[in-house]
Amino acid sequence: MSETLRPVIGQAIAIFIALALGTVVIMVVGESPILVFATLLEGAFGSTERIAGTLLQTTPILVCGIAACISFRGGLFNIGVEGQLFMGGFAAVIVGIYLPLPAGLHMLVGILVAMLAGMAWIAIPAFFRARYNANEVVSTILSNYVAVLLTSYFTIFLFKRPGGWSETAPILPSAYLPELFSFSRLNWGLIIGLALAVAVQLYFRHTSRGYSVSIMGQNLKFAEYGGVDIKRHIFLVLLASGAVGGLAGGIEALGVHHRFMEGFAPGFGFDGVIAALLANGNPIGTIGAALFFGALRSGSLLLEVDTNASREIITVIQALIILSVSAQILMRRRGDSTAAERRWKF
Amino acid sequence: MSHAVELRGIVKRFGTFVANDCVDLVVKAGEIHAIVGENGAGKTTLMNVLFGLLQPDGGEILIDGKPIVVANPRAAIAAGLGMVHQHFKLVPSLTVAENVFLGMERGRAGFVDHKAQIAETERLSRDFGLKVDPTEQVGLLSVGIEQRIEILKVLARGARIIILDEPTAVLTPQESRELFQTLRGFVAQGMTVIFITHHLEEVMAVSDTVTVLRLGRKVDTRPTADVTKNDLVQMMVGRSVSFDRRQREPSTGGTVLSVKDLWCRDDRGLPAVRGVSFDVRAGEVVGIAGVAGNGQTELAEVLSGLRPASHGTFRIHGEDLTAASPRRIRDTGVAHVPGDRVVRGVDRQSSIAANILMGRQDTPPWARGSLIDWAVVRERSSEMMERFDVRASGPDALVKSLSGGNMQKVVLAREFSHDADFLLVDQPTRGVDIGATESIHNEIMRQRADGRAILLISVQLDELIALADRILVMFNGLIMGELPGDSVSEEALGLLMAGVQTGPDRAAVA
Amino acid sequence: MEVLERLINVAMLVATIRTTAPILLVALGGSFTTKAGIFNIGLEGQMLVGAFFAVIGSIFTGSAWLGVLCGVTAAVTFALIFVVLVVSFRANEVVVGLALNILAGGMTISLMKAIFGTRGSIVGHGIVGLKPVHIPGASDLGVFGQLVSGYTPLVYVAFAMVPILIVFYQRTRLGLHIRVVGEKPEAAEAQGLSITRIRYIASLLCGVLAGLAGAHLSLGYITMFTENMSSGRGFMAVAILIFSNGDPLKVLAGCLLFGFSDALALRLQTFGFPSYLVLTVPYLVALAALFALAYRSRPRIVRETVDSMKRLMRIEGPPDAGAGRRNES
Repeated sequence: MSETLRPVIGQAIAIFIALALGTVVIMVVGESPILVFATLLEGAFGSTERIAGTLLQTTPILVCGIAACISFRGGLFNIGVEGQLFMGGFAAVIVGIYLPLPAGLHMLVGILVAMLAGMAWIAIPAFFRARYNANEVVSTILSNYVAVLLTSYFTIFLFKRPGGWSETAPILPSAYLPELFSFSRLNWGLIIGLALAVAVQLYFRHTSRGYSVSIMGQNLKFAEYGGVDIKRHIFLVLLASGAVGGLAGGIEALGVHHRFMEGFAPGFGFDGVIAALLANGNPIGTIGAALFFGALRSGSLLLEVDTNASREIITVIQALIILSVSAQILMRRRGDSTAAERRWKF
Repeated sequence: MSHAVELRGIVKRFGTFVANDCVDLVVKAGEIHAIVGENGAGKTTLMNVLFGLLQPDGGEILIDGKPIVVANPRAAIAAGLGMVHQHFKLVPSLTVAENVFLGMERGRAGFVDHKAQIAETERLSRDFGLKVDPTEQVGLLSVGIEQRIEILKVLARGARIIILDEPTAVLTPQESRELFQTLRGFVAQGMTVIFITHHLEEVMAVSDTVTVLRLGRKVDTRPTADVTKNDLVQMMVGRSVSFDRRQREPSTGGTVLSVKDLWCRDDRGLPAVRGVSFDVRAGEVVGIAGVAGNGQTELAEVLSGLRPASHGTFRIHGEDLTAASPRRIRDTGVAHVPGDRVVRGVDRQSSIAANILMGRQDTPPWARGSLIDWAVVRERSSEMMERFDVRASGPDALVKSLSGGNMQKVVLAREFSHDADFLLVDQPTRGVDIGATESIHNEIMRQRADGRAILLISVQLDELIALADRILVMFNGLIMGELPGDSVSEEALGLLMAGVQTGPDRAAVA
Repeated sequence: MEVLERLINVAMLVATIRTTAPILLVALGGSFTTKAGIFNIGLEGQMLVGAFFAVIGSIFTGSAWLGVLCGVTAAVTFALIFVVLVVSFRANEVVVGLALNILAGGMTISLMKAIFGTRGSIVGHGIVGLKPVHIPGASDLGVFGQLVSGYTPLVYVAFAMVPILIVFYQRTRLGLHIRVVGEKPEAAEAQGLSITRIRYIASLLCGVLAGLAGAHLSLGYITMFTENMSSGRGFMAVAILIFSNGDPLKVLAGCLLFGFSDALALRLQTFGFPSYLVLTVPYLVALAALFALAYRSRPRIVRETVDSMKRLMRIEGPPDAGAGRRNES
């Protein structure tokens, strides 16, 4: 019991410390911390619509977080979820516009293509990581920039809506991911995300390959000795992670925006990575972390209306949480070994 | 003659294990003093206490007749001691001179005076007959020269009493001879040398006085001239060998493993195994003896698919597996108890059950389809824990909570239950207490009786003598010779381990 | 015609030098941590806070150089947080570095909003930029004069740091110790050198140069601050550090490559290539270089051929002869 409870308590303490530091930052910026936190709460949970808004923000963070979790489990860092999200979203929109299919099937094909696009986008970094040990942290970060620029280029120069401003035409309604309620754009993406979190957790616990990957993430040499094909598994883990990143983009495109535009997703990929870090690579824990970050984001919209603080104050709080979590000993388990190995294996 | 070093009643415990039990040692000024004993006799511990790397639990240290407290290596260096460790601590990208003066650089205002350092290194090198080029990069030099640099480091810090821990373990016989000449030079200049070894030849050849340790206690200190090698062996081993040779039925079957002219390289790209050939038959334990670092680990890694062979072949049941993956080799019927069990043998973060599952996560009944049946895994793990006497709260206990012996039993339980025809067993009892060692030995003999082919790599000679049907001795990547297990003497083994050729067969090759 | 071509070439070189300077400064900063054995993904954030606080300092003091000092102080503070967490608390380098990058992004935007009430960028407000240095007599040197004169001061600092760092790593005690700590920590420990202390120093030195890089970006390269204006330069620097192993000359070579691709991108833009595509060029170059280097340093299996075995056997012999000579001397 205490074994399972201890990390939770540790995480709670870390978040508390981060919030205390955040309070200081808010005061430095010249706002009242009480007002800011109250506004955040109000903005996140103040009404049914706002709760739905929070869940709407939670969805992409959750799916991106699961993508990151998959890579963390294998001892790898996919920091390029943001880029995979962009590629996935864009690919889904193209299918949504140009590939008329019966309703439902159209949506499924769109989602599938989004996943393939995410997978394709990580394939090259994954190949070089698996085969030649090229640092995946740097390669996936750099490919984020390329993805954002490339999709912007496609949107503006090749697929721009006539008369529109840096956005594509809307997708056909047959490709829409159905909404859950009439009063919000909240859609089936949330259900997909929750189901995926549970599925990934069960996969790592109960399947042979999930077991092999988990062991590889914890002790690569042991896995190698035990007959796990390391190169193959590294490649597959990164591909799976990229596919889920692409899925996040597909959900955003088909469920929320119904088109692609510049600045398609403001940092959901990074938030997802942070949520997964906060949950120490546990998909179920990532649900909680994503909800927390979704609430912060949702609340921050009201924050900009009601106070002079910028909504980026919440990224400050997120960063502080990660820093205080990273500092605690409970985090060392994963941290220590990878940091030590990483030092020598660029 | 005055006493350079005097240790009185040194006690050092690690938990319940007593590494040094009230050891007295007197080293006279200007002599070469050899300290001999088997592995685990407490030689290195004693020297680490003297050099301040370990703090004794009792006893007194006197240097030049004055009692001092050696709180850390700095204090030891200040008292005129210097130690050359078994594992060198040199920086490959720096030059010889830079390494010699690391941490005490010559120069002013934060700048290093390379000229002065080179000149001083040259002077030391000349004065003590340790030939090095001060401007060369250390990473490009041989192990023998690296050792010279380590000695120069000690000399540059003004040491008059020099401790060397197994200095010849990494040297060729030729390099060893040169080293002894150097040591002779040191005492001629009034310095004192203490060196640890288990090669009796060396003791006889170079030392003035010899102290024998056994199981943490001092047996005796004698002038070397007054003892013979046989006396020393008697003192080192004691009246009874630690393990009696196991009774066995002759039960040799067909050839399982066949190694032909196998070569491989170490992590630095240097040849580690250089053309070894041997067979292991069913129902036979073949031992591989040798001082650690003579290619045994690399050989084991090649045979388990973890390191590529650079030449030659090995076959199991006639199937060539030289370029096969670890998975394929395992599937062919090889189980491997690795030498570095904490790194390779277990995942410390996982449960015992999860550790026992490794390697069989795709096979029924452990898994059905691609789903793992954890109920079966737990049940089987519990059974194995009972059979192999793993002491833990249950199959869900984390491996990191286990003692070294129990951890090793988890590895054995997993590997010996694979029904593999060939067992590759590397250092099965390293760091394992005596009770656990007994049961591990029992298990190996049981596997032999079941008709397995077993390759047993060990640095513990008594273990090999107790278990092996034949013993191959490795030195410098070569097999120096083969001795029958039932009529072998530690001395004969020791000679081969030291690279001394007895037969004419191999000499022709070199 | 020929003159025009030459002018373009010179302009291109000048542009390359300008675009190289910021990434060179931050990469040389990262060289300290790389050499000390720390994987520092937080360069991006250090550079960003450096840029922001340099502008703030410049506005409030009215002095460009005091602005630079503010920027450096901010970056060093980030470097300090990084090293405390990574070295003293043993936190994961990647996690801490990324979190600090995010913190830098959020903090600069929040503060910008709080102080100036705007989003996006700080232009005007009395920012004092660094004045270009006109080397006396350079105009008489023709093309060469154009190449060496007229940059803002930190460009000269960036290029001067290369030889300084070479000397630092080879000639100074601290430089030597930083290398030892990264390459063989146990050697440092055995000689009583404090690994912790040396890593702290390396990280703080890194902060100084990353801060200068940021200050150069917002006070020298251009005179304004925009959101996330470091735009991945810190990450490209990390890529360079991976394949240069922090060696100053190799860092310079890598940075020139990126400076050139940056300058080329700007030039292509003026020819009407879409900026979105052109801007990907430096990132693609970084990725290509990263993969190419990983491919080159792949572990190669050395085969034991009959020839190499023969050679080995021969090597076995000579030590005796060599030793004999040694004994005589």
